[in-house]
Amino acid sequence: MATEQSQRTGGGPRTGGGTLSGVTRWMENLSETGFAYLLLTPALLLLGTIALWPLLSTFRLSLFADSLTGGLGNFAGIQNYVAVLTGQRNALLPAPFLPSSLTVDALFGSALTVTLIFTVVSVFFETIIGFGQALVLNQDFRGRRWVRVAIIIPWAVPIVIQGMLFYLLFQPGIGLFIGREGNPTILQTLGPFSATPLANTVDATLIIIVADIWKTTAFMALLILAGLQSIDRTLYDVARVAGASKWQTFKRITFPLVLPSVLVAMLFRTIQAMRIYGVIETVAGCTTVPSLSCLVISSFNNTLVGTSATIAFITAGIIALVVSVYIFKYAREEMG
Amino acid sequence: MAPDDNTGHSRSRGVSRRQFVKATGASGVALSVAGCTGNGGDGGDTTTTTGEGGGSNAGITVQFGADSNFKKVQPEINQILHDNGLAENIKLEVLAGSFTTGDRQTKYKQILNAKQSSPTILMMDNGWTIPFIARNQIANLSKEMPGSLVDKVMNDYFQASVSTATMDGDLYGIPLFADFPTMLYRKDLVREAGYSDSDFKSWQTDSMTWQKFSNVVKESLEANSDKDYQGYNFQAAAYGGLSCCDFVEWMSSWGGAYFGGFDNLFGPIGDREITVTEQPVVDSINMVKHFINGGNPGGKFGDYAGNISPNAVVQYKEESSRKPFQSGNVMFHRNWPYAINAAAPKYGDDLGVMPLPYAVSESESKYDNIGGISSALGGWHLTLNPNASDKKLDAAKQIFQAITTEEAQLSLFELGGWIPPVPDMVASDEAKNLDTIGPYVDSLKVAGENAVPRPVTVVWPQQSSQISKEVNGSLQGNKGAKKAMSDLEKSLEQIESSV
Repeated sequence: MATEQSQRTGGGPRTGGGTLSGVTRWMENLSETGFAYLLLTPALLLLGTIALWPLLSTFRLSLFADSLTGGLGNFAGIQNYVAVLTGQRNALLPAPFLPSSLTVDALFGSALTVTLIFTVVSVFFETIIGFGQALVLNQDFRGRRWVRVAIIIPWAVPIVIQGMLFYLLFQPGIGLFIGREGNPTILQTLGPFSATPLANTVDATLIIIVADIWKTTAFMALLILAGLQSIDRTLYDVARVAGASKWQTFKRITFPLVLPSVLVAMLFRTIQAMRIYGVIETVAGCTTVPSLSCLVISSFNNTLVGTSATIAFITAGIIALVVSVYIFKYAREEMG
Repeated sequence: MAPDDNTGHSRSRGVSRRQFVKATGASGVALSVAGCTGNGGDGGDTTTTTGEGGGSNAGITVQFGADSNFKKVQPEINQILHDNGLAENIKLEVLAGSFTTGDRQTKYKQILNAKQSSPTILMMDNGWTIPFIARNQIANLSKEMPGSLVDKVMNDYFQASVSTATMDGDLYGIPLFADFPTMLYRKDLVREAGYSDSDFKSWQTDSMTWQKFSNVVKESLEANSDKDYQGYNFQAAAYGGLSCCDFVEWMSSWGGAYFGGFDNLFGPIGDREITVTEQPVVDSINMVKHFINGGNPGGKFGDYAGNISPNAVVQYKEESSRKPFQSGNVMFHRNWPYAINAAAPKYGDDLGVMPLPYAVSESESKYDNIGGISSALGGWHLTLNPNASDKKLDAAKQIFQAITTEEAQLSLFELGGWIPPVPDMVASDEAKNLDTIGPYVDSLKVAGENAVPRPVTVVWPQQSSQISKEVNGSLQGNKGAKKAMSDLEKSLEQIESSV
């Protein structure tokens, strides 16, 4: 590299002097690292403006008390955090932030736990099903194009339409899955649903998980498929020559090589799932399924700016915490 | 909100999500227009300049933030205004806001927080006008308007409506139209149970007790057992409409209240008693539980018929409950007057309307003005955006003058079924002669005289969300009525003391 650089600076006649060439020379004399940072500067500035600044601003807002007559209240320090985490604000929110006990009702009734339940269950199933779909799509067969389209269609459906679909499916007397009294459907008699699933927290959470899996599995499948396609095909030829079984091929070649892609896909999905709001609002409403974002939005709409910012900042913190698990895992994969 | 409120209760004349989807399919164009103007708050400034371009004689266009029902009849409304004394050079431009009241409230909040100058006139739900007054964001009409108009509104209009637009004796909003829920029913089905036109006639204004009502429904269900009818349906989803309206009606008809007497409805926050654990409130929830599931919870309902309402009510809002009635699967249906407008053409003379049933009379209840027939108060006010230019404010005041004339109010009643907010006019001879709604104005008048406003204060959105959550949970059977109300009492106390 050093030789290359010296060649660049040394070779060729220089025309003109002035600032332009001065800047050029300065840039060309930069070290490798310095040059990298120079190129990254615009991106970092942009990121700072649209990501870091709002985050810090949210943090600042969270230090002020609520004012019901509009605007911000007095400086309150960490009082908002204490009040939200100890339950003193519960009545002002559509649901408590932390569960009051460990019963099923309390777990599904609190924003933090219902969001975590949603995230873990939906990301788990999306990964498994998405992986399966990606493996199928990775094969060569007739009509593969059409299967691809079919798999990706839900991903293209807007959230409001998706919400409307599931809202109507589970509306008593209208929906396919919920019958009228005296004429319940099989999902009600054998399955998990009550007569009014969209009003019941546990049922509604289940419906929202299914709605999310239906839509975003395609996203997982696409990312994982990209990973699968980048695997060197000759490795499979070697495996065949060595007489490896299908399972061994998968275990020794496909899985380890695709794992980084899967982790990245799961990372993206987890971040999105922790912020779930749109489907909830359209299918069941924030009172029935109170996610973290629901709390932020409803308290903001009720002019509780301080509380809203506090919950938003805590939510960001929790997401960062969950995400760091993946980052460490991923870093280890990279190293190892 | 969500809390549904957080989504807020769906507007009385509102359009549900389902109807919204239907409308999207039916008229993409109309909807895209509504979509554009819905953002009028942001882009509105560009349109306003056209009106102000010329000299003093040039036309002035005043923007009016309302809904798509008003937008559809904008030319007719302008005609009505001009017929009633508005200068020809002033035009009203209707901006169609969101279909849901909560969204419109959020939008207005943004507009007024940013001190935007357009729209000049804002149509505000009686359920959330007071917080805007408390935040000093709308003009004080007692100062802006001539005293004669203010006096007329204060003295002649429905007192319950006016009380949701005043603060400290000053008027901030002029009621544009009022809304009172009534009980709609199918005479043809009830006739099968042996009731006759003379019964229907007396129910029209007298209604009946809940006990009798439940038995009438049961008898009608039994007389029509060949088809799977819903007996009595209403709106009990966990949304603002339950806490502002359906629950208020049951509770008041038993003589219960959120914060004691009428005096405490609009405050003082933190300094009024919370009365949701009182027996009448608990009884009213148990009664509705009995209607849904039977089983006589609380032990007082041996003489009441049970199992007359579908389980689905805990998921119903206005439109989801009205659709089955409109399609012929429901016998008794509680809803706002727009449901009468929609059902009358289909059922004709077989559509019956009566004021809502009651449990105790007003004299038997502990508080004044509570008890007996109780209708939740709905309706919308006209308010003035103080950030608009003087010229526009002057024009808007002229519009207020024209729209508050008796003739204009009757024309609006006829045009869109917007009920005049004046008791004497609701059942006037002119009103009785109106095409669709005419035969039902007597019931509406009784409902209007017994209207109960929701306790709107700056903390009402939070309280509303807790109330609908607890009541809905209890109706679903997750909690007993007593337990739900004592939990609610704790939440309300926490909210009251947060200010």
